[in-house]
Amino acid sequence: MVVPQIFNTVEQSAFSTWIRESPSLFAFYFILLFHTIGLSFVVGANTVVDLRLLGVARALPLKPLKRLFAIMWTGLAINVVTGVLLLIAYPTKAMTNPVFYFKLLFITIAVITMRKMNILFDDASLSDPALMAKGKSLAVMSLTFWFAAVSAGRLLSETYRFLNYHQYLMKMGLS
Amino acid sequence: MEVNLAHLHLLLNHFPIIGTFIGLGLFLASFVGENEDLRRASFIIFAAVGFLTIGTFLTGFGAQAMVTGKPGVSDALIARHEGSAMLTVWFVELTAALATIGLWQYHRASRPAHWTLSAVLFASLLTMVLVARTGNTGGEINHPEIRATQDTSQDVTPDAMPKEGPIGSIIRVFEPTPEKFSLAIVSNKWLWAFLMAMHFIGLAVIVGTVGILDLRMMGFLKQLPLAPLHRFMPWAMAGLGINIVTGFLAFIGQPENYIYSGALWLKMLALMLLGLNAAAFYLTGVFNRVQPLQAGEDAPMSAKLIAVSSLFLWFAMITFGRYIQLLSNTVRLPGVTSN
Repeated sequence: MVVPQIFNTVEQSAFSTWIRESPSLFAFYFILLFHTIGLSFVVGANTVVDLRLLGVARALPLKPLKRLFAIMWTGLAINVVTGVLLLIAYPTKAMTNPVFYFKLLFITIAVITMRKMNILFDDASLSDPALMAKGKSLAVMSLTFWFAAVSAGRLLSETYRFLNYHQYLMKMGLS
Repeated sequence: MEVNLAHLHLLLNHFPIIGTFIGLGLFLASFVGENEDLRRASFIIFAAVGFLTIGTFLTGFGAQAMVTGKPGVSDALIARHEGSAMLTVWFVELTAALATIGLWQYHRASRPAHWTLSAVLFASLLTMVLVARTGNTGGEINHPEIRATQDTSQDVTPDAMPKEGPIGSIIRVFEPTPEKFSLAIVSNKWLWAFLMAMHFIGLAVIVGTVGILDLRMMGFLKQLPLAPLHRFMPWAMAGLGINIVTGFLAFIGQPENYIYSGALWLKMLALMLLGLNAAAFYLTGVFNRVQPLQAGEDAPMSAKLIAVSSLFLWFAMITFGRYIQLLSNTVRLPGVTSN
């Protein structure tokens, strides 16, 4: 396995080092906190809409739930930003772990599902029963892939091969 | 920050015992003339006991760190009490969960199902026996007067342990050995990853389902009628159940990573305040006032305040949870020199 030198350059940068090593309450753990808050927005709001589409709380009108998509997209935006920051802190650790790519794949499928669901909710011509019929399979996809993405994320700290570029060189006998 | 968790444990350890005793008493009495008010009260007490017992259980580990190795304190007796607590806590929580299902059935169907009554009866009787033993084995640690052996100058050897009654010796068989239980959890990284993944899925389910109800009461999403939104609450409770179980297991796996973390105790404080908040919502009539709200209708100020504190406290839970690791060495326990 060849790990590109650029990961080393990123890791050695002052910004990456600061995120990783600063004892400040507002460095690594702060970013991780916002990554979790973003998760609660995007996965939490999705879960509510999915459960409703699958038949929980049937008396609840579906259409007004449209407004929850704003929370979902906000959560996603928070997590893209904080995710990139976490990647800057540990590029080698993330990019050499196959689970990381599975996580990205699951998120991609989940976001495509979310987009499709959002389009359905935006279609004013659909009645609630029609929306429910069309949305059921999307709801199953959504729950499956969001929960898979969360699980893959939690697996990262248990499955990485190299913590940083230096460790990669050492373990591969390259330095 | 210096915290005396032993005092806190001594304060909290009376709730599981006295609470279960009172709850069981009311529950049994409710069968005389099928008194539903009494029965509902007993369910509320069981649920509250389950909540408070989280604090009792966790502070126990802090108290243990403070007294272990001290003269006149037997490590063997502490281990026995810990093993007893590690068995009992699941039954306290099971009783609380069943009582919560019963309360939901009161809400939805005006009375609980027969299976719920049998299950609560069975679980609470078992809990009463177990919790009595945990209290007794705990008492023996620092109350030598109730021990069978009076010599406190040295540790109690296994064969000189205080005599167990016939019930105690049966329960003993089912009690885990604390170190083995901890090791079983942390030695398997896949089990650990599974616990953490479930804890985060539980988090998303809770914040999603509770959050939408809170937002509605605060005045956002006013197009939604309130009663149907409340149908998500069993899902919130399921998420809470998952997170109590996975949280307990993570804590038991490596208590030394948690008990010295200020963030863990702040998180537990937030959890206890959430319990108070839920009590304020359901037991003071606020819920009954907001339940009939139709689309477009505004919730009263009391409901808005409860909704704001609920959202605030859940995000506090996430925040403190995330800082447990970073702040894992911020609490100094009196008498503990190094962690």
